[in-house]
Amino acid sequence: MSSQAAAATLDHHHDPTTSTGIPNKKLLMWAFLASDCMFFGCLISTHLIYRLHPPPGTPIARQVFSIELTSFSTFILLMSSLMMALAVNAIQKGNLKSMRWSLLTTIFFGCIFLGCQVFEFNTFVHEKHLTITNSILGTTFFTLTGTHGLHVLIGVIWLSGMLLYSFTGNLTQKDAIDVESMGLYWHFVDIVWIVIFTAVYLLEYI
Amino acid sequence: MSASDSASAVHDPVQSLVQSKFWIFVQIAMLLAVITGLELVTVYLPFMKWLLVGVLVVLSAVKFMFVIFYFMHLRWDKALCTILFFIGLVLASGTMWALLKLFGADASKPLTMALADRPVAVRIVS
Amino acid sequence: MEALAKTDFIAKEEQAAKPFVLWRPTAQTGLMSWLTTVDHKRIGLLYGASALFFLVVGGLEALFIRIQLAVPNNTFLSSAQYNEMFTMHATTMIFLVVMPLGAAFFNFIMPLQIGARDVAFPRLNAFSFWTFLVGAIILNIGWFRPDGAPDAGWFGYTPLTTRTYSPTHAVDMWVMGLQLLGVASIAAALNFIVTIINLRAPGMAMMRLPVFTWMTLVTSFLIILSFPAITIALVEIMMDRLFGTNFFEVSNGGMPILWQHLFWIFGHPEVYILILPAMGIISEILPTFARKPLFGYPIVVFSGASIGFLGFGVWSHHMFTTGMGTVATAAFALMTMAIAVPTGVKIFNWIGTLWGGHLTMRTPMMFALGFVWMFMIGGFSGIMHAAAPADLQQHGSYFIVAHFHYVLIGGSLFALLAGIQYWFPLMFGRRVSEFWGKTSFWVIFVGFNVTFFPMHFLGLEGMPRRTFTYDGNMGWNLGNFICTVGAFILGIGLAIYLIAMVYAYYKGPRSLKDPWDARTLEWSLPNPPPVYNFQVTPTIHARDSWWYEKQHADEIAKEEAEHAKAEDTHGGIHMPFQSIYPILAGLGILIGSIGVSVVDPADPTKYPGFWGPKIAVTIIGGAIMFVAVVLWSLEGNEGYHIHLNPDGSIKGDGAQKHY
Repeated sequence: MSSQAAAATLDHHHDPTTSTGIPNKKLLMWAFLASDCMFFGCLISTHLIYRLHPPPGTPIARQVFSIELTSFSTFILLMSSLMMALAVNAIQKGNLKSMRWSLLTTIFFGCIFLGCQVFEFNTFVHEKHLTITNSILGTTFFTLTGTHGLHVLIGVIWLSGMLLYSFTGNLTQKDAIDVESMGLYWHFVDIVWIVIFTAVYLLEYI
Repeated sequence: MSASDSASAVHDPVQSLVQSKFWIFVQIAMLLAVITGLELVTVYLPFMKWLLVGVLVVLSAVKFMFVIFYFMHLRWDKALCTILFFIGLVLASGTMWALLKLFGADASKPLTMALADRPVAVRIVS
Repeated sequence: MEALAKTDFIAKEEQAAKPFVLWRPTAQTGLMSWLTTVDHKRIGLLYGASALFFLVVGGLEALFIRIQLAVPNNTFLSSAQYNEMFTMHATTMIFLVVMPLGAAFFNFIMPLQIGARDVAFPRLNAFSFWTFLVGAIILNIGWFRPDGAPDAGWFGYTPLTTRTYSPTHAVDMWVMGLQLLGVASIAAALNFIVTIINLRAPGMAMMRLPVFTWMTLVTSFLIILSFPAITIALVEIMMDRLFGTNFFEVSNGGMPILWQHLFWIFGHPEVYILILPAMGIISEILPTFARKPLFGYPIVVFSGASIGFLGFGVWSHHMFTTGMGTVATAAFALMTMAIAVPTGVKIFNWIGTLWGGHLTMRTPMMFALGFVWMFMIGGFSGIMHAAAPADLQQHGSYFIVAHFHYVLIGGSLFALLAGIQYWFPLMFGRRVSEFWGKTSFWVIFVGFNVTFFPMHFLGLEGMPRRTFTYDGNMGWNLGNFICTVGAFILGIGLAIYLIAMVYAYYKGPRSLKDPWDARTLEWSLPNPPPVYNFQVTPTIHARDSWWYEKQHADEIAKEEAEHAKAEDTHGGIHMPFQSIYPILAGLGILIGSIGVSVVDPADPTKYPGFWGPKIAVTIIGGAIMFVAVVLWSLEGNEGYHIHLNPDGSIKGDGAQKHY
């Protein structure tokens, strides 16, 4: 069965079993991401609202943040997005080996991002004395970036699971949609970070 | 299995689109990196605040759009996916805008700050 | 036909045998079959049964409230008990009665209306139900705990819900319970969106969808887009309560008003989540019993969608008294008035449907007509609140209580009761007694109006909401006494309704197929519908597709015979396997949530450091959930095939062989 499928061309943008031609899993993921827009929209709003009128005694965000580190992790996350796109590209071609390498790199970059975040949080708490309880800035900053970090962590676990699963031999070109919807999630985590990088970090420097 | 899969059907038009996407993706990733660099430079420029904020918002919106339309395939997918996502995106942006407006309004300023903005005489009276 | 030939399930044909951990339950009857079911009809019934159970619970809570308020300075309940009663009455009725009753119909009816064999993700559907049930348990667990039930109002305004003012776990349970109900609703709504967009039978264009299915779609969008706001709000209050953050902590710069905004960004779409399914049900019942097509179908659909969209721009009309500034107040007042337009359009469409029709006065029709009238009254008092100056007078008074009970009981609940009566013959193949049905309608109708109409006057006379008692010299004695009498009449009416329904379930006369001579596709099925729904995937030729089929019986029969042959050669009807993992994941969530919201934080003298019972229970629950989700994804979405005899019975022994 699998060799037949490989011989025939698979059109990954059309699924004949559904009314619209869009695979169910892809539609589910896009609807979920629409919902997640609202989720992060409210969370980012909370942070920005509290930045509008910081109460007296709030630490100066510019003196706490390290824009070099954050720029680096932003770059890393963008590159992981590239590798994710390449992984999807590879599995759609049926190139399992290439997909594995791309996935592995994505996971690696995801871990670097998480590592940077752990380092950042650690520095903020122990050296800059910004904690989740001692000021409203700490509260909203750690909750927002922590929730994003949690999304990255879930993504890394999902990616790793998929990578392991690919060695069982059950992951073939026909299952590209599974990798693709995982990719959609990963890219979404990336675009949320694009917004956070601007709204939370860069705006503080103006 | 992977070897046989990758060897097959390289000359198919759909497959060659898949092939050509590799370079599109790489180029876009480079572009995103460059824009991120530009953003970083922007914040240190000595211009008016509203201008810089505007530039930052536009730049990150451009990045956002590149990722969703290329990396997330919206450009090559059925329009329904785009519509579905934009319903959420537009509502979320609208809600954020409304919330920031509501909390930015004079009526929403915390009392301590609203008083601090007024002339000293008023502060003493209240 | 091509579509049926190439399901992605066939692709996994030659897979090796699964390891033993991926055990597939196959029970067709008994408890196990219900716990592991993925059949949308059974899940619908589970939702319905839970909702009716909680209707009784919430109804009893309402009666306790009314007994307490029957006479001035009553001591039937203490003020603390009263707080628990009104909090749990509201939370129960909204999240555990009206929403799941809507979900019951979404599950049972919607796939049948679009000609699908199940929802797009059957196991996710089961997971939604079990998560809902877990949320319901967490919400109500406080009744059996020393902490007591949640008592800070269904809106949970801060700073009342912060640790300073609500130190017990009751509010933790409310927060966690609501969070889970949100997860369950979002998962279910995503499923319905994909199902409606992607699983329509051939020929079922979007503008041929029955209106109930359209309203399911709009409601599902409202759910996925509004629930994230309360998810965030609940995360923030939970962080405040568990980790001492400052979101709503005024002394450290927090703003309690933010909670109100986030809550109502969710809360206002939520009221449309409650009313739109009701509008959909009414749009099915009125044409059936008026024996006319729905008047202005595209307008009804469009106004439903615009209600959904506008519903996101009116949240601050719940907060006119908080002093948002004149611009914001005026803008939200205008938007609120605008949203009355599509609602009014719908009312006119229903009246247009009735106009000149051959009205058949059966029980569902009685409830539907009651809905139109009572919902209009609720709408009128609603539009009064849109005017901000008037709202300043009415805010927090019994006038508001009267308003939202008119839209929630006279609106949502009447329509849902109508829907139960309407679809009962389809769901169970039995008829409810017409006499007892109509009797229950009149008792409910009278009781409802006697209870809630006087509340308008009480509100205008200044009686505040949520007050647990009042002095005898306020002039509220008579009104309150009438309300209490009405509440008992309403209770008796609902009891008659439920008893007649339960009796009909066991002993009611058998119903013929399509007893109401209805118009939409679900009535083309034998009752109760077989597990595979449609013997042959129907082809849709018109908007009221079953009506069309009845008019063109010969043509349709020929077409079906051809399709039946084609389907059989393509491997028969695909059925999804049952699965144990959705309920297992639900169990993990239950244990984890108990850890988060019920177990006390560790006593540092007994458990130094990080570990303690709270952390341990939470992690155990999370681990069970994680394992269940992993196994769930490993087990895959495979299924088995069945072949049918011409009479619709399943060929062979019906064993679920992996093909």
